[in-house]
Amino acid sequence: MSVPLRDPVNRVSRRAITLWLLEALFGFALLVGGSMLAAVWIDGSGWSWVPGWLSDNVWWLPVAVGVLMAPFVVIEPFWRYAVHRWELSSDVVYARSGWISREWVFVPVSRIQTVDKAQGWFERLLGLATVEIRTASYAGSSTIKGLDYTVAARLSESLAHRAEELRDDAT
Amino acid sequence: MPAEAVPSRLSPLVLLIDPVRMLPSLLLPLAGVLFVGGFSPSSFGWAAVAVVGSVAYSVLRWATFTYQIVGDRLELTRSLVSRSVRTIPLERVRGVDVTTPPLHRLLGLAVLRIDTAAHGSADKQEGELDGVTLAEAERLRTLLLRPSRVRAAQTPDAAPGTARQMPPHGPLDAPDATPATAGTTPPTLPPGDAAALTGAGEPAVRQVAPETVYLRVPRKWLTFGPLSGAYLFTPFALVAGAVGVLFQWAEQFGVSGRTALSIGEWLWHRPYLLVAAALLLIAAMPFLGVLMYSVLNWDFTLRARDGYLVAERGLVNRRSVSLERRRVRGYEIVEALAERWAGVARVWAIVSGLGDSQNRGQLLPVVPRAAALDVTREAVGELTAPLRTHPPSARKRRLFRAIAPWLALAALGAVPALTTGVGVWWVLPVLALLLALAGVPLGLDRYRSLGHTYDGTRLSVRSGSLRRSQAVVERRAVVGWTFRQTWFQRRVALMTVIAGVGAGVGGYEAIDVSEADGPAFAAEVTPDWLSPFTIPHPAAHSPTDPPTT
Repeated sequence: MSVPLRDPVNRVSRRAITLWLLEALFGFALLVGGSMLAAVWIDGSGWSWVPGWLSDNVWWLPVAVGVLMAPFVVIEPFWRYAVHRWELSSDVVYARSGWISREWVFVPVSRIQTVDKAQGWFERLLGLATVEIRTASYAGSSTIKGLDYTVAARLSESLAHRAEELRDDAT
Repeated sequence: MPAEAVPSRLSPLVLLIDPVRMLPSLLLPLAGVLFVGGFSPSSFGWAAVAVVGSVAYSVLRWATFTYQIVGDRLELTRSLVSRSVRTIPLERVRGVDVTTPPLHRLLGLAVLRIDTAAHGSADKQEGELDGVTLAEAERLRTLLLRPSRVRAAQTPDAAPGTARQMPPHGPLDAPDATPATAGTTPPTLPPGDAAALTGAGEPAVRQVAPETVYLRVPRKWLTFGPLSGAYLFTPFALVAGAVGVLFQWAEQFGVSGRTALSIGEWLWHRPYLLVAAALLLIAAMPFLGVLMYSVLNWDFTLRARDGYLVAERGLVNRRSVSLERRRVRGYEIVEALAERWAGVARVWAIVSGLGDSQNRGQLLPVVPRAAALDVTREAVGELTAPLRTHPPSARKRRLFRAIAPWLALAALGAVPALTTGVGVWWVLPVLALLLALAGVPLGLDRYRSLGHTYDGTRLSVRSGSLRRSQAVVERRAVVGWTFRQTWFQRRVALMTVIAGVGAGVGGYEAIDVSEADGPAFAAEVTPDWLSPFTIPHPAAHSPTDPPTT
């Protein structure tokens, strides 16, 4: 990577791979299910404006979607694990996320307004948590996903504490 | 803080307005009562009861509503059935709007709206006093806006560039804190806000407000109005509104949908009438556009008063918006394509914690660009560095994005045209191709618009072609950074840098900066935040970029 930013020090929890895999499977099921519904709909409708070659082969649609998307279900979690990293140093939270597209966020602790720790269904199952760091702006706010629960608790605790000390509402 | 012993009421004159305002909503039920009753004496009796009842209700409402400034808060008390008190801490008052709708103006009354938006619109709470005398409105405005001015004035160290060492505002920015401790931690002034310093040390003495008029927009500039585009559609909006009202009334009076349909059919068979009407509407566009714009922006005046920027405008409904200067963090200058061609622009203030900023933050209506820059320089501040251009790969990307979607649509549209062989299908691909062609100049212009810079105090980003917008924001308003790189951007070594700003729309984007310049730009603005994470790069910063205009 040629963006002149060094990698944040900490990786997220390894169990985050499982989390992303579950989420990807869920999305995959929705997508294939959705295209199946569409296929059923087109097949049964008998609309005259649908060209014959399409209505005859409409069952290839969910198959094509499935074949095209299946690799990503496996690739995405591992790719994300390689990209997602975070760090707290010099009173700045530095986090990187994404897979095909990437995002780097810098949030100085002095501008933090709230720190939330959240757990979704899957996260709860896997003992993971998400830390949401909010400032007065959406573009200065960061969400760190897939942290080990104890790490997330420690991070949000220390961030909240430090933010209180540094509180600076120049905005 | 001057406290008032006796709670005040709204002006009793407002009772003259209330029935008129209720008229439309009463009219139909009344007509209904009369119709159902067959215009018998008793039906008139019931109608009279309804009218008397509604008048009595407004008298009751008026009599049971009071307001009072108690200590450091404003209390609005309504005790109609149950007693409810809305308390607005004066520290939370961000601005006071005074509007005078036509009826109010006839009677010398005004509507006072108190804006207390804290962070975003989440815990926004507004107070409204509908129907105070103009003198009372003026008195309340001075009283309500005074505390923050006095607090601001008590701060001696108004040094610029102290943003990061500033003491906390306390309750001003902490929505959950109790307002009782407010005022003990004085906030700092922005550089150059000397106006707020008047009256230091003598908060009890009421001073003659030092007032500077930045600009009173001359009448002949009103003709620039339609250039922004939106006002051109006034005739169509009027017609649509009229049709809507007609339908509503027709239904009330039992005109069936079939009649409407037959009218439509009658028109359909006389297309020349439709064409004539359309031509008439199109011809009316500029005139009605100017008219509408003039009604809304008549005698637009921007002045400074007591540490506030006050923008006043309107012909029928005169509106005055006060923006606390201490919270102004920059400005955004916007030009539509036609406006750029005519050399005019509009300006919005970027204010922290301002709700409804699209309407309330407007600093200048459509005025010549030079005048806009002069006024913003005086009222807000000046950007002293030229914009830096973005790399040539950004041009390719702008072009690709302006052309490719239309080409794809044209290709897609050509499929049914080729397979069916029906000529009508060609309309879509041809239209798409024309749009793709138009995408060439559009993409080039979008690239020319791109720019970002930092002059030591303010950063600026610009983008857009059909609506070009340049934001200029003070460094201290930046609360964080986001860099974004899509797969396409990554292949050509570009990225989008978003400065998170706790004011205005929240984030200002520098689109398609080279991936070396992006972090370097952020590090230039806030070195402490970025330097621990950046890798020194031989071409990290290129000051040799030729400046754009």
